[in-house]
Amino acid sequence: MVQLTTDNSYGTWKFCAWNGMIFMAVFMIFWGGLGHNIPPYAGDLPASAIADYFRDNRNMVRLGMVISMTFAVSYAVWGISIGKVMDHILGRDHILTNLQVWGAGLTVVPILVSSSFWLTGAYRPEALPDEILQLMYDMAWLLIDLAYSVTSVQMIALGFGCLRDNRAQPFFPKWVCWYSIWVGFMFVAECLMPFFKSGAFSRQGVLNFWIEFVIFFIYAPIITWYLLKAINRIQRGEGA
Amino acid sequence: MTDTVTAPRPGQEARDGTSGNTTGDHARLPGDEGVWFFIVADMCMFAVFFLLFMVGQAEDPDAYRESRAKLVPAIGLVNTLILITSGWFMARAVNAARAGEWHIARRRIIYALLVGSCFGVLKIYEYSTKIAAGITIQTSEFFTYYFAFTGIHFLHFLIGIGVLLVCLGKLRQAENPHRLKWIESAGNYWHMVDLLWMILFPMIYLAGGWK
Repeated sequence: MVQLTTDNSYGTWKFCAWNGMIFMAVFMIFWGGLGHNIPPYAGDLPASAIADYFRDNRNMVRLGMVISMTFAVSYAVWGISIGKVMDHILGRDHILTNLQVWGAGLTVVPILVSSSFWLTGAYRPEALPDEILQLMYDMAWLLIDLAYSVTSVQMIALGFGCLRDNRAQPFFPKWVCWYSIWVGFMFVAECLMPFFKSGAFSRQGVLNFWIEFVIFFIYAPIITWYLLKAINRIQRGEGA
Repeated sequence: MTDTVTAPRPGQEARDGTSGNTTGDHARLPGDEGVWFFIVADMCMFAVFFLLFMVGQAEDPDAYRESRAKLVPAIGLVNTLILITSGWFMARAVNAARAGEWHIARRRIIYALLVGSCFGVLKIYEYSTKIAAGITIQTSEFFTYYFAFTGIHFLHFLIGIGVLLVCLGKLRQAENPHRLKWIESAGNYWHMVDLLWMILFPMIYLAGGWK
């Protein structure tokens, strides 16, 4: 027996769904572009190179991180709209929906905190020794990479939850559900990152940056596309 | 207003319990189509792993040969035979399930599990001997890839063992209409674990030679 949600403020649902795209756009432009994080500075660079990055780009990094921190919460807002659609699949207050929402909410924390490390490095880089600036940079990357598990909880719960959709045309196609599970699972490769300063598993490496971040960057747009279609179907009364 | 849905949803029957190679005029993939997406995505990721390894080997073949000499190919070979045998039992379990011989299918999955578990025992033994000899993931690029790629494969193996155990549970449920799809999907996944190892073994233990 599936109990559906009583909330029918679909305009707000859609706004929340669009927050996935807002988050990803901000993340790529401000965190990635202005923050010079796509790709990161190599782990084997000397402290002076990292110090120069903060000193030469202080205002860009400050702006990038301020905007990143401001919009980090968009990820949680997006997760709540996914939860609304999952309510229509699983019924209200299902544990997989709760895990998805909590996973999305907790994802905000490492983004906020690691951005604050970059911001701290850019705040008074002229007064700090090179090694301290390098420490801030390393801390930021170690946190944002190694906090993958909270996002994995969201992705895996979303995948397994939406696989239970028995509609002839499910809200999220099976391949999207399995993509979600796969991305959440593949993030485990980040565990290798602290052991390397160069090579494929380092923070700037082919596997731990280019592949892991690309599969994450395309995750939110794919989910948001099907999320908006699902909300439209629910609004038209096809949710039951 | 709280709406309550009790009736089966349209198309529910079409998505439940139907499986097998062919249905009517349309050829169908065995198992769940979504699991196939997972398998293809995973194999693409491993293809990148293989490429990285081969590029690294091409750049410094002597260093790779020197490191490879510290491996015992016989262990890799035995593990290959173990996985092939386990995969064979799983394939026969799928055949039995398709014929509706659920007890035979269950017995063959147990064989697949028992034989397959030997892979895990041997892999743990191999890792422990390397670590005891002072060889770690940071010893050389070769051993970085050896530990990382076989380690990620080992994780897939452990998940496969878990999936086979779940299948055994599903087979107990005589009224479960999804049994065949579960067993076929598990078989597909288990064969992926075999297949990846059949590339990992020659690539890591054999190709390029020893020094």
